[in-house]
Amino acid sequence: MSEVAASILGSTRPRSDGFRDDEFRSDRFIAGLALAGMLVVGGLVWLETAPFLVALFAVGVVLGVALYHGAFGFTAGWRNLVTKRRGAGMRAQLLLFALSSLIMIPLLGSGQPGMVGAVAPIGVSLVVGSFLFGIGMQLGGGCGSGTLFTVGAGNIRMLVTLLFFIVGAVVGSIHLPWWLDLPAVDPISLIDVAGVPGAIAIQWLGLALVMLWVNRVERRAHGEVQRGELQCSPTENGWWRTLLTGRWPFVWAILVLAVGNALTLAIGGAPWGITFAFNLWGAKALQAVGVDMSQFEFWTWDYPAMALSDSVLVNITSVMNFGLLLGAMWAAGMANRFNEASRQRPQGRPFLAAVIGGLLLGYGARLGFGCNIGALFSGLASGSLHAWVWFACAFVGSLIGIRLRPMFRLAN
Amino acid sequence: MQAAYKRYRVIAFLLVVLMLVLADHLASPTFAFNMGDGRAQTALNQRDASACAPCGAPCPSTRK
Repeated sequence: MSEVAASILGSTRPRSDGFRDDEFRSDRFIAGLALAGMLVVGGLVWLETAPFLVALFAVGVVLGVALYHGAFGFTAGWRNLVTKRRGAGMRAQLLLFALSSLIMIPLLGSGQPGMVGAVAPIGVSLVVGSFLFGIGMQLGGGCGSGTLFTVGAGNIRMLVTLLFFIVGAVVGSIHLPWWLDLPAVDPISLIDVAGVPGAIAIQWLGLALVMLWVNRVERRAHGEVQRGELQCSPTENGWWRTLLTGRWPFVWAILVLAVGNALTLAIGGAPWGITFAFNLWGAKALQAVGVDMSQFEFWTWDYPAMALSDSVLVNITSVMNFGLLLGAMWAAGMANRFNEASRQRPQGRPFLAAVIGGLLLGYGARLGFGCNIGALFSGLASGSLHAWVWFACAFVGSLIGIRLRPMFRLAN
Repeated sequence: MQAAYKRYRVIAFLLVVLMLVLADHLASPTFAFNMGDGRAQTALNQRDASACAPCGAPCPSTRK
């Protein structure tokens, strides 16, 4: 083992002073198990389906590593702005959206056949769904990606949130047609309205205005703006060790997430999404116990019907979610922090918050056409106006969720 | 320091998930097609180009 590898993996070689070099030690069992899981799932996808799905599985793994090592939490970023008046996490998200818009809007505007953006209608369903999702984020303790990568890292409370996320998503899918009959307008794509340069300019202008507001909030509270989101170098350890064990500077996570979403679009034909898979898993579970899902309108639409009738290993969102879970698990193993957040099992009110939060997340994600990734991140990167409405409504919901957290004995 | 988890529980959880995925896959048209059933309708590219949203929802203008 090289010196570098030994320092990362936690060498057991005795030091000259007689002590073992255990200043840092990765969890080889978890890291190895995650790698074995990647081989098994990746191998199954390779053998049974198609090479492009293996590539998307690999993208999912990398995205899971980036989310974990970058500690890229949408939920905490929003909460830090509200409760601590600190905006680094929020600015990191805005930078991610700006970079992704720069990459993905031209891709979508190039008119490549078979490539579609994350655009969606604007109406009552979107407003109500994103608002509920915002409340659920703060009670559940994570958004779509946050729930998934923390479950991958072994967080038991977030497993509860995920299970009820799935339940809420299935109920939402059954109710969605009713919500869609309420007032709404067809999707508005900034690319169609203003062309590629115009769409990027509008996006950047909007993101710049939000960033100015975030800076103002922080400056008013603290007198200055911390620029932690712009830091490129690791703070504690070397580059190599930080890359494998975290914590990544925000810039690294921003780059990986932006490129990952663009690759998802280029390979899979549509931007990154997460929550449709939760719908699908829940519907398949119901179908397995004898429920005829075709009696519900949602599951008669072409895409859901196709997904329901075939293997989860053929569904892009599911395959990427599997990759994300295993990537986060590997990252948590490398950081020696797997299951670290679950030493105390969730009980009482925090448990109830995970249940209610999960239900709101799932229901809200279905009505709001996705989560922070599918609706917000991918929506903005696609130049869809619905993403801005989603952003505003989810933020208002999040404000309420933050106020509700102390009632459930959750720290703000 | 005491481990934050039990190894057997992690392995058991992953095996259960793998079994569920396999059970779903073995009952799928894709697996049937791979086993030589040429009539099986697989959907390797699950997309509805006419859909209005990523979940496959129709446009408000096309609803009654």
